Amino acid sequence: MKKSFILLFIYVYLFSSFRILNEKSFIVPTGFPEPAYDFSKNILTTEKIELGRALFYDPILSRDNSISCSSCHSVYNSFAHTDHDLSHGIDDLIGTRNAPALINLAWHKSFMWDGAVNHLEVQALAPITHPKEMDESMNHIVFKLSQSDLYTKLFMNAYNDTSITGEKILKALTQFQLIFVSSSSRYDSMTQKQIKFTYQEENGYNLFKKNCNTCHAEPLFSTYTFANNGLGLDTTLNDFGRMQITKERSDSLKFKIPTLRNIEYSPPYMHDGRFKSLFAVLNHYTSGIHQTTNLAPELKSPIILSENEKVDLIAFLLTLSDKKFIFNPDFSYPRELFAK
Amino acid sequence: MVFCVFLLSLYSSHGQNDTVHFEINFTFNKEDLQLNKYYLLNGTDSVEINTLKFYISAISLLHNGETVWKEANSFHLIDAELNKSTKFDLAVKEGVIYDKFRFNLGIDSLTNVSGAMGNDLDPSKNMYWTWQSGYINFKLEGRSNVCLARKNEFKFHLGGYQFPYNCIQQVEFTLPQPDLIHLQIDLAEIISELRFGELDHIMSPSFSAMELSSSIAKKIRLRIP
Ligand code: HEC
Ligand code: HEC
Repeated sequence: MKKSFILLFIYVYLFSSFRILNEKSFIVPTGFPEPAYDFSKNILTTEKIELGRALFYDPILSRDNSISCSSCHSVYNSFAHTDHDLSHGIDDLIGTRNAPALINLAWHKSFMWDGAVNHLEVQALAPITHPKEMDESMNHIVFKLSQSDLYTKLFMNAYNDTSITGEKILKALTQFQLIFVSSSSRYDSMTQKQIKFTYQEENGYNLFKKNCNTCHAEPLFSTYTFANNGLGLDTTLNDFGRMQITKERSDSLKFKIPTLRNIEYSPPYMHDGRFKSLFAVLNHYTSGIHQTTNLAPELKSPIILSENEKVDLIAFLLTLSDKKFIFNPDFSYPRELFAK
Repeated sequence: MVFCVFLLSLYSSHGQNDTVHFEINFTFNKEDLQLNKYYLLNGTDSVEINTLKFYISAISLLHNGETVWKEANSFHLIDAELNKSTKFDLAVKEGVIYDKFRFNLGIDSLTNVSGAMGNDLDPSKNMYWTWQSGYINFKLEGRSNVCLARKNEFKFHLGGYQFPYNCIQQVEFTLPQPDLIHLQIDLAEIISELRFGELDHIMSPSFSAMELSSSIAKKIRLRIP
């Protein structure tokens, strides 16, 4: 099987600083911390990733076979959803949040904008059963997949057994999503000293380190913790974020800090998709902050950026675009599987 | 003293057994419980139970207060609808002497944060919350004319593994006679304490989920033959 990411790198930890977590396929990029995901309990294999890829792209996971994970998470948008501020699901129903980009999920400590989900393997249960998303049940998916020759074959390949269970479905979906690693941006080439930033990018990088890095921390461009970044409450949604989960007032309006990798590809921005451009985001940080009691301390005094500095900062943010990720053939629609 | 020696010899003779039979039965006012059947409640009101499903986990045996045996991978989904799920054998190591039986009603927090699980813990068993991670420890659904909700339904999904809403319950019994562990829950006892007019559903971790879990745990009884 020719899978470009499944390369068996020789263990040259000291020299290359690559770390190989298990025999196959998962490589911790240079300079990245240890992943939060425990790979020992779900060892990646080509066949399981292949099964996960089929499931991710297959609308069979929805009640009327109309919506797949990729309907809301498109590879060309770094697995986010453009054109819609709030996600669109089954029967064209509109959800309450913007579909986030799916990047470097192995490092996330929790999932969803409010951290409602504690583990990647159980995340898929949320969209699958949500009445406005896929409106299906795990039980019925197990039944539908068992009727399919394609899946009988794919499960056999992956698990050496044709029995289909919820656990196997979820673990395979997880394997496919774990390989969504972005580490080949211009920024990464710069940190590895393969290229030099332009003057403008360099200036933007310095502004970034001064104003943004405590939350959108390098190299993942997120700490994956929760913060209130001063967005005013949209009273048509009344989404209080983290507080809905912890029921703590101090968590009101806190949301999971999103990564800024591939940010160019995943507008609109924020949990409710309220900003259509990066300029709009920067204008929020310089002049749109809502002062509330639990506003993040970093944002209590205003961030000051001149118009030129905004341009520079955006030039830096664009260095986080990873074309190899967007065009990675391993991430795309598995035409060969679904062609009949 | 003589009595102690007698007791010891009694227990050790039972200790030879390597399978211990576990069984749990459900009743309503002492009659065998039937799902989807209307029962009279305090004369005037009626109640019907449609779903009764819960986890028992971490089964262990104790002797003089110390754990002497633990079941490996101890997760059992009990479903009143599936007779098969209400009884199973415990493969207790030969020679183990015990006087107490202990288990958890519900799923521990470590398991709750460990991703997708199989067998009785498989999320396709419909005992996993989807919009927020976590197992439902105890599910009780039905109808009563007292419920103001749609179709007079009541739905109690009890769970929550995180402080301050951790609602797992430890239950233990001193066993007068080993090798047979026969438990019993009378649903009328649980339901008569509920105030359907005020509370007819619990669907997320909360203090009311903790309260009800603890009250249910106290209604589990050892059936003395
Ligand atoms: C109808 C659109 C829709 C569909 C279909 C959908 N998602 Fe999502 N996805 C979302 C939205 C919206 C969120 C954010 C939800 C929230 O924060 O409450 C999300 C969040 C996620 C996250 C968490 C990312 C993070 O950074 O926390 C993952 C992982 C994910 N989805 C994977 C999937 C998978 C796998 C499927 C298919 C089984 C799927 N999604 C189907 C819209 C969708
Ligand atoms: C106090 C922590 C914090 C700081 C400092 C911060 N952010 Fe954010 N940022 C967040 C949070 C939290 C969100 C998500 C908010 C939401 O959607 O409710 C976010 C969202 C974003 C988004 C949208 C990402 C997406 O996928 O929708 C962009 C872009 C962004 N920030 C850029 C920046 C830039 C540029 C700076 C510096 C000028 C900065 N942030 C400073 C916490 C912070």
